[in-house]
Amino acid sequence: MAVVGAFCVSVMKNACINAQYPGKCATCVEVCPYQVYALDGDGQVSVQNFNACVGCRICAEFCPGNAIRINSAEPEYITRALWTFPTVEEIHHKALTGQYLLRGFGTMGPLPHFDSIVVVPSQISSPAPRDKYREECKTDVVIGEGRCDKPLHLKLPIVFPAMSFGALSREAKLALAICAAQMGIATNTGEGGLVPGENYMANGYADAERTDKKWEPGGYLVMQWSTGRWGVSVDYVRAGDAVEVKIGQGAKPGMGGHLLGKKVTEEIAAVRGVPPGSDALSPCRYYDAQTADDMKRMVAFLRDVTDYQVPILMKLGPSRPYADVKACAEAGVDAISIDGAAGGTGASPDIVTQGVGIPTIACIPPAVRALKDLGLHRKVKLIALGGLRGGLDAFKALAMGADAVGFASAAEIALGCRACMACHKGECVYGITSQNPRLRARLDPEEGATRLRNFIHATAEEIKILTMLSGHTSIHDLSEEDLRALDLNTAAITGLKLIGYEKRLPWWDN
Amino acid sequence: MLAVATALDVKDMDLRAASAAIKESTGSETLEIRNAAHLHGLCAGLKTGEYDIIGDAGDYLGVLNDGATIRVTGNVGQYVGDNMTRGLIVVEGSAAYGAGVYPYGGALVIRGNAGDFTATMNKGATIIVCGDVGDEIATYHLAGDVVVVGNAGVNFGNYMIRGALYIGGEFKSQGHNTRIEEITIEDVQKLRRYFEQFDVQADATRFRKLIAETAKPFYGKIVKRHE
Ligand SMILES: Cc1cc2nc3c(=O)[nH]c(=O)nc-3n(C[C@H](O)[C@H](O)[C@H](O)COP(=O)(O)O)c2cc1C
Repeated sequence: MAVVGAFCVSVMKNACINAQYPGKCATCVEVCPYQVYALDGDGQVSVQNFNACVGCRICAEFCPGNAIRINSAEPEYITRALWTFPTVEEIHHKALTGQYLLRGFGTMGPLPHFDSIVVVPSQISSPAPRDKYREECKTDVVIGEGRCDKPLHLKLPIVFPAMSFGALSREAKLALAICAAQMGIATNTGEGGLVPGENYMANGYADAERTDKKWEPGGYLVMQWSTGRWGVSVDYVRAGDAVEVKIGQGAKPGMGGHLLGKKVTEEIAAVRGVPPGSDALSPCRYYDAQTADDMKRMVAFLRDVTDYQVPILMKLGPSRPYADVKACAEAGVDAISIDGAAGGTGASPDIVTQGVGIPTIACIPPAVRALKDLGLHRKVKLIALGGLRGGLDAFKALAMGADAVGFASAAEIALGCRACMACHKGECVYGITSQNPRLRARLDPEEGATRLRNFIHATAEEIKILTMLSGHTSIHDLSEEDLRALDLNTAAITGLKLIGYEKRLPWWDN
Repeated sequence: MLAVATALDVKDMDLRAASAAIKESTGSETLEIRNAAHLHGLCAGLKTGEYDIIGDAGDYLGVLNDGATIRVTGNVGQYVGDNMTRGLIVVEGSAAYGAGVYPYGGALVIRGNAGDFTATMNKGATIIVCGDVGDEIATYHLAGDVVVVGNAGVNFGNYMIRGALYIGGEFKSQGHNTRIEEITIEDVQKLRRYFEQFDVQADATRFRKLIAETAKPFYGKIVKRHE
């Protein structure tokens, strides 16, 4: 039974035909199954019984003047349960077109996330808090230390995860590279090849000859090696400071990258080797690796072609974090990124983004356990991705055992994005996910880098505040003890201590 | 001047040691490499030099090859010539699964047979198999030429987008988005050139040619939200 009075019904008089020509139209009166509308003595339509409205919007569909607005006063998932307006619309869309929904951005909807975890401050029974304003806090992380010749010395436990050239504009890619140089962190090519300049800019140089060091201290570029192998050659693999083997990503685990034809301009087509205007669909798996043994060999030859200099990373979607992370570590990589279900995308089927994969907070504990079981925790670095919004989420991920975190969607937003979810269309009005020169002209890489830098700076400060108020002077000292789960469910899936109970739930070893 | 040593036995070496030894011994002459079957990813990412591998080779031989000439007298494992961009790889024997996947350029010649998924996602290389090939050859073929002198299995050229496939024998089934085309004089001339260049015995006039039905096989299958 529908909740009474759950919808606000309004008829815009300037658009209503009946309001202008009384007696000429009474469509809403006729079609409403609950007599919400009635004609008064003068033949004027009035909303006489809005409490009876169930939010079906038949009136709105039939109204010739498009004059009716129905707004829910209560969330529709309460008043209409399964059959909300968006659900009905989606079914109509499929019925009309035969096509499923595709969109950009991450999961929209409730998932267990960092919000049900709180940070535990320090008082008297634990080491005293540290003074954020007058004391130092160590935030640097090294990827590949003792494992390759040129490890990445990140100044902050933050990376920009892979976002491909194609999904992002050249300007957005360069803004990320410049910010990485300014903050001493790492950015990533993504699976769409190298944007000319991305590598030396990420290292802090304004020119290809590397004579003009414009941005200090200089950061790093991770070269992604993926299933479509767009724009990949030995020179590409060697152009950066690390190589990342992509297995999957949170928004579409089990599927390959997806770049719609609209975004495949001449320039993108040239990099990827596909005809302009044709969809660039990466395979969902490697055509040159079928087993865990093959992955080991792949990591080995990538090390060989990079002369055993740079770290090799692997990136996982959220599937079976314990077993997957173990397999990655056994393949011999130096760092593993695990992207939770909340992770973002440039384009993915809506149902996959919404309904596939393990939430980020449930990926981190098994990943940490896998590394601990192998004796590799903190040696092979763990990078947590997927729906992280700022320092609070980052702190929680670090305390759960990650060594670093990544911001992709948040970085897009820092560049100006407002999360309209239409990245796949290639018409981003901020020029971030567009290949249209007119729109791209709106994004200046250096200005974008400044916004990104400010965001990363503020986030790093937040991480420091939280680290220090919980009694630490280094992010490497954080532990699960600095967190509590707010509810049973979160305690159950993360193994964190439950507030009030002050212990882990019984099936987690205490 | 005396010729430098041109033979290298990699029997007891691991990949790192073998590739260091190979780089050290690379000179103006062909380098002979023996006992390499246990190594995977040998001769990776080389830009120059000529290498003769005597006997069999393991997986990922010549991956990311960018200019070297590699010959193998025996058979090779999986993914030979993976992601090659330039250069030439000739295998006298047969190749397992995934020969010549993801290449952008260069040439791969296999005198024996090749396994499934050969030449997948070719973006511009020339790949010639003198014997038979398995299933799903030249899947998502984006550019370049694939020549199969013998027979092919199912889904030959599945979802190819551009480029051309030539086959001398039979195939079990044709992939999606492919079309059989009359072979033209230009095609015959091109094949003859290949056959002469790579020393292949075949009659170019009896080959059939497959091309893509459309360059946008996925186009229109997916629309965007609320349009
Ligand atoms: C526009 C865009 C493009 C992306 N492209 C790639 C890609 O090419 N390869 C990849 O592994 N992940 C890609 N991702 C996923 C991100 O690397 C990352 O895993 C994810 O977005 C993290 O979640 P967050 O956006 O909530 O921070 C992309 C994400 C976005 C938003």
